[in-house]
Amino acid sequence: MADPQLSVRDLTVRFPTTRGTVQAVNGVSFELEQGQMLGIVGESGSGKSVTAKTLMNLLPRTAEIEGSVMFDGQDVRQAAADGRDHFWGVEMTMVFQDPMTSLNPVKKCGEQIAETIRYHLGQSKSEALAMAEDLLGQVGIPEPGKRVSQYPHELSGGLRQRVVIAMALACQPKLLIADEPTTAVDVTVQRHILNLLDSLREERGMSMILITHDLGVARGRCDDVAVMYAGRIVERSATETLFGDSRHPYTDALLRSIPRIDQPSHTRLDPIPGRPPELINPPVQCAYAPRCRYAQPDCLKSIPEAQGVEGMHEFACHHPANTDQGREALAANVAAGRNASGMPVAGYAGTGGF
Amino acid sequence: MAGSGHAPLRDDPNVLLTIQDLEVEFPVGKGAVVHAVSGISFDVFEGETLGIVGESGCGKSTVAKSIIRLNDIKAGSVDYQGHKLADLEGEALRRIRPDLQMIFQDPISSLNPRRKIRDVISEGLAVWGDDRGSWPQDRIEELMTAVGIDPKYGDRRPHQFSGGQCQRIGIARALALDPKMMICDEPVSALDVSVQAQVLNLLEDMKERYGLTLLFISHDLSVVKNVSDRIIVMYLGKACEIGNADELYEHPRHPYTRALLASIPEPAPTVDPSDGDIEGELPSPITPPAGCRFNTRCGHASDICFTEEPQMQRVPGEDHYFACHHPVEVSVGV
Amino acid sequence: MSDMDAETTIVGADVDEMPDDAVEKELGIGFWVCIGWLATIGLVALLAPWLPVTSDGAQGGPREAPSMSHWFGTDANGRSVFDLTILGARTSLAVGLFAIIFGMVVGGSLGIVAGYFKGKVDAVIGFIFFSLLSFPQLVLALLIVNAFDQVSLFTVAITLGILAVAPVGRLARAATLVFAEREFVLAAKVIGAKHFRIIIRELLPNVLIPMAALGLLGMGVAIVAEGGLAFLGLSVDGGESWGITINDGRQSRDLQENPWVAMFPIGVMFLTILSLNFAGDRVREYFDVRETAF
Repeated sequence: MADPQLSVRDLTVRFPTTRGTVQAVNGVSFELEQGQMLGIVGESGSGKSVTAKTLMNLLPRTAEIEGSVMFDGQDVRQAAADGRDHFWGVEMTMVFQDPMTSLNPVKKCGEQIAETIRYHLGQSKSEALAMAEDLLGQVGIPEPGKRVSQYPHELSGGLRQRVVIAMALACQPKLLIADEPTTAVDVTVQRHILNLLDSLREERGMSMILITHDLGVARGRCDDVAVMYAGRIVERSATETLFGDSRHPYTDALLRSIPRIDQPSHTRLDPIPGRPPELINPPVQCAYAPRCRYAQPDCLKSIPEAQGVEGMHEFACHHPANTDQGREALAANVAAGRNASGMPVAGYAGTGGF
Repeated sequence: MAGSGHAPLRDDPNVLLTIQDLEVEFPVGKGAVVHAVSGISFDVFEGETLGIVGESGCGKSTVAKSIIRLNDIKAGSVDYQGHKLADLEGEALRRIRPDLQMIFQDPISSLNPRRKIRDVISEGLAVWGDDRGSWPQDRIEELMTAVGIDPKYGDRRPHQFSGGQCQRIGIARALALDPKMMICDEPVSALDVSVQAQVLNLLEDMKERYGLTLLFISHDLSVVKNVSDRIIVMYLGKACEIGNADELYEHPRHPYTRALLASIPEPAPTVDPSDGDIEGELPSPITPPAGCRFNTRCGHASDICFTEEPQMQRVPGEDHYFACHHPVEVSVGV
Repeated sequence: MSDMDAETTIVGADVDEMPDDAVEKELGIGFWVCIGWLATIGLVALLAPWLPVTSDGAQGGPREAPSMSHWFGTDANGRSVFDLTILGARTSLAVGLFAIIFGMVVGGSLGIVAGYFKGKVDAVIGFIFFSLLSFPQLVLALLIVNAFDQVSLFTVAITLGILAVAPVGRLARAATLVFAEREFVLAAKVIGAKHFRIIIRELLPNVLIPMAALGLLGMGVAIVAEGGLAFLGLSVDGGESWGITINDGRQSRDLQENPWVAMFPIGVMFLTILSLNFAGDRVREYFDVRETAF
């Protein structure tokens, strides 16, 4: 098998603050094959956006970064150190949640795209503007000729996000990182944007990383999914495996806690108790253990290493769900009424009752 | 008077709140107005949870805020147990307010950063004293425990709590006045996925424990279905479809409801994914389309949809109403 | 708590893992140095009547250089500049303090009312602020001071206080507009709190902080402004203030030949205003509350 297009190894990012060092990303590793879509799922503070920003060289200078990022045979962190500005925007590019932060409110949409093209590719102004109009058409914006000379505030949220995508596509990037691209838009618009990203990926053979807090979005659109919790990837596999046969108790609990449209109304939900841990000086234990139904004493003693089949289905857990080991741990905790860190544990609402 | 009809109103002694032909407009300068809500009628039974779902700009939050008079009402009536809320002013309005409490979207913004949370929660009692004879001061701790906040943290200020905890504090504040009805405006959309279920369960528990009636507003179709007995689907200031939650999702009749159900990332099994292919943009609420407001984007639209506004009609034998000239036929009993 | 069901207990479990109180923010050593200086000046000014300082008659020869007996030297009339500076602090600080309190009470109230009620109330109050700001400040000061036969400490303070109304009021209005949009104000309305209670309990504690920071800066401005009036001979008749002493010290060739007369009060005034500005800035930062836990 050829080398993957993107390979991230043991990526660690720390931010020194006045309150201590924030361990934002902790030993994150993943690969991405060309033309694939990887979903990174996590809650706020899980480190998913920091990971993306590291790839895009967008972190503040105070960030302490370790680990390697290889893209198409090039060392991305070396490129950053060498000040290769044309790497980002040309080789890989990013789309953010709020299109207004990426667009200059006092410049026409066409000009903004043209500027990107001219900066990276050195086209003439009229060539670049023609390309901009063409790009707006490609991302499904009606009447691109008219939109070129409109300002961002004259467009709806959905169209603005398309303009941002058009700008990202300007230099034919090989990798597009989309950070919560549809969080700020309505469901009908979300569907259009995700369809657009899908078709662009197919047409151009582009690779994509889709960062989202929405498990449904990841499930419907990604080839592989990585679940992040407290700065670590806790589980990573092909999408179907992850949603059908999850191993990490966090993934499992997350899937159970979300209301589903095919359940009858008033179906009792299985919430995850507690809240995500602080990332400053975290204790040496599984970060999820305090909230975990499966947690045993060993979970509080060491941070679990990734196990499973490398590159296929990896998970970092001592007592994985949906295995005998996990079932034993859960049964023991249900019997004791609490997990190793003292959190009350009852059977699942659907299966055991309170 | 263009309304969508009174068909969904129920003649029943259990009705707690009745909204009739509610219209709300906001001036936007130069004489233009946003038609935020244009004639909506519905009622809520005591002890019922009514969900309102729709995309941004459909007027769902405006409906909620109109009921407790946080907006001006242009026309229509809001009848709460014989009180005409739309006509109340000043002290009369203030007197009725404790009955109808609200949970806000942004849990952090809804708490005063400079006040201790015990003071935040007991604010209602401080305002009303013994007038209402509701929660005595010393039961504030019990209320805190009920929503899952340890009373020993009562002296802390809001910034020391997480978003989910702040939302619990907001719920405790609303409960302190022993309200009849709780209006929840997107109460979980600002929360992390793993915390949403905690707050949804808490709302269900509190509803049961304190005999509340809930009005639950959300853009999230799955969340609304989970908590609601009855659901209203809104589009551009109008109700498209009203009905029993399970029935509505099972047999959606309005093309817009179907589009919504098909657009979510994991579409409802009851609709065809292609129903989600609605074209175009939301029309401007300043100049909404004549006839059916969905006509600019609807695949089923015919001439009548551009001239005549569809009225609410009932699905025979069901608690299910829709306003459409060309409702999607469903084979009942799938 | 026996009536709690299992679910509530589970939900409640998360309260036990509240992180310990966030690390306290610190005001910093600089703030305390400033406060120390202000406290010293304030204390000295307060106790001046009981201190062995006087402005009556010559303490030594005219224009003596600083020495052990006259630390700051003497002025043209042989009065001790050190004594004058201490006595001047009384007037300067009193004027500054009173002016800014007046500005905060009057301007702050108007600003909060304007920001909370909006509409016509806001239009009227906004017009008052605009008029005050548009009127040339110096002319306004001259007009007010000249309206009284005798310029007393009270006259000067009121004059500067009126000038402070508009800037403080506009800040209060802007801050109120921001907070009045916040959902906690809506929540108070929904609970049934009356306007007055909402203003006092919900808005004032939030608006007071930027106002206090501006107040400290404003006090510095008022002290300087008093100096300006003194230059025009319009400060307290027959009294002492830093402005009056500095003005005396710049007569004829004093600044070249015996600069101490003006320089010492200027130095004290400079340090005082620097301290006020610095402390005001720190107060604003300190109370710039984090509103989220993370």
